[in-house]
Amino acid sequence: MDQILYYFFNWPLISPYLPEILQGFLVTLEMAVLTVVAGTVLGLLLAVVRAYGIRPLNWLLVVYVDIFRALPQLVIIVLAFFALPAFGIVIDPMPATVLALSLVLSAFAEEIFWAGIAAVPRGQWEAGRSSGLTFTQTLFWIVLPQTVRISIPPLTNRALGITKGTTLGSIIAVPELLNVSSNIQSNIANPTALTAGAVLFCLVFFPFVYLTRALERRYAPKR
Amino acid sequence: MSDIVTIESLRKSFGQHEILKGIDLTVRRGEVVVVIGGSGSGKSTCLRCINRLEEPTSGKITVAGTDVTDRKVDLNRVRQNIGMVFQGINLYPHMSALDNVALALRKVKKLGRREAQERGRMHLAQVGLAERVNHYPGQLSGGQQQRVGIARALALEPQVMLFDEPTSGLDPELVGEVQNVMVKTRDAGMTMVIVTHEMQFAREVGDRIVFMDQGVILDSGTPDEILVRPRHKRIQDFLSRLN
Repeated sequence: MDQILYYFFNWPLISPYLPEILQGFLVTLEMAVLTVVAGTVLGLLLAVVRAYGIRPLNWLLVVYVDIFRALPQLVIIVLAFFALPAFGIVIDPMPATVLALSLVLSAFAEEIFWAGIAAVPRGQWEAGRSSGLTFTQTLFWIVLPQTVRISIPPLTNRALGITKGTTLGSIIAVPELLNVSSNIQSNIANPTALTAGAVLFCLVFFPFVYLTRALERRYAPKR
Repeated sequence: MSDIVTIESLRKSFGQHEILKGIDLTVRRGEVVVVIGGSGSGKSTCLRCINRLEEPTSGKITVAGTDVTDRKVDLNRVRQNIGMVFQGINLYPHMSALDNVALALRKVKKLGRREAQERGRMHLAQVGLAERVNHYPGQLSGGQQQRVGIARALALEPQVMLFDEPTSGLDPELVGEVQNVMVKTRDAGMTMVIVTHEMQFAREVGDRIVFMDQGVILDSGTPDEILVRPRHKRIQDFLSRLN
């Protein structure tokens, strides 16, 4: 028991490092928020484009989605950081990670939203179109609001999974929470730093989980 | 009376399967035409061709003087003139009854929010739902939902209303309230084309009955001619099977 306390809950030992850990926490939080917002918005945009059924565009879209769903996130992060400069685009490790993760999330989100659009009954389209609404009006006023409701639960899952990929940013030296914690762990030769990191990770993700749950309730079909 | 809907040699195929094999039908202004027939006879498909929810394979359809089948026609404009009520009702589940009715008024007729809501309230009141304007479809009975569906179509003040088996999905005790609203709509002078399986109602509401069988109009005439003293053996069989 003492051993466990000494190794994993050794607060006196890591308290001097708390500001540093907090800094990492803020970086992770920022990355998570940016990734979720950018990835979801881009995914919704792509699903909307796909709904218009413009053949060549949809082929490109499917290729995009399949590539970003198939490649490991780590590979995409490394590519964003090390390969983009070859095309004259140099970005810092943090934005590179956010960019990579957002692209991955957008690919998954597109598929989720697309499935949501397909799940809205054909009669909804017919009701809208038969009253003189255009395709676009029907899509935006009738179909998409229902799509978003259907899509929130699977999207939440996916967004959580992918934002945890922010830890992969440590590979290109993003000073995010896990990176900072494990550095401190090496310095003080005590894994309590990781415990602190874990607690803070929960602090990032629990509110996120609750927020999305509230959203699910808010947008559940009215009965 | 002038003709408001004319259908000329309408054909419709789904793949190899020909559903409509040359339909000719004229509906006069203010007339109520009830289309009956066995399932698979093509009556719903025929109705859905009128506002081009189904794309006719060939033939010509004119609604209020506009050739609906013309490739260059402004469909969204044409459809404002044609109200439609569905078997599946198809209310928008994320909107209140009032918003269901007001949506097209705002987006298609370009009315302001206040005016659209006012008109929506009026039309909901006419179908007896003044007290339910803020209810969501999930909070209404099937009969109430279908009355909202009718109000939603009537609110656009169309020149003709299409009813595609409007009571088929309802519990028997809810059918009456919907039919009453339809009778009221007829009495207000609306031109209506109704596809239904309710023969009693067809007799009651229809000026003319059209019997469809295997993609053609087998016979048409007054309710008496078709439903009481049918000439065709096929229609006699159909009616006796219902009783």
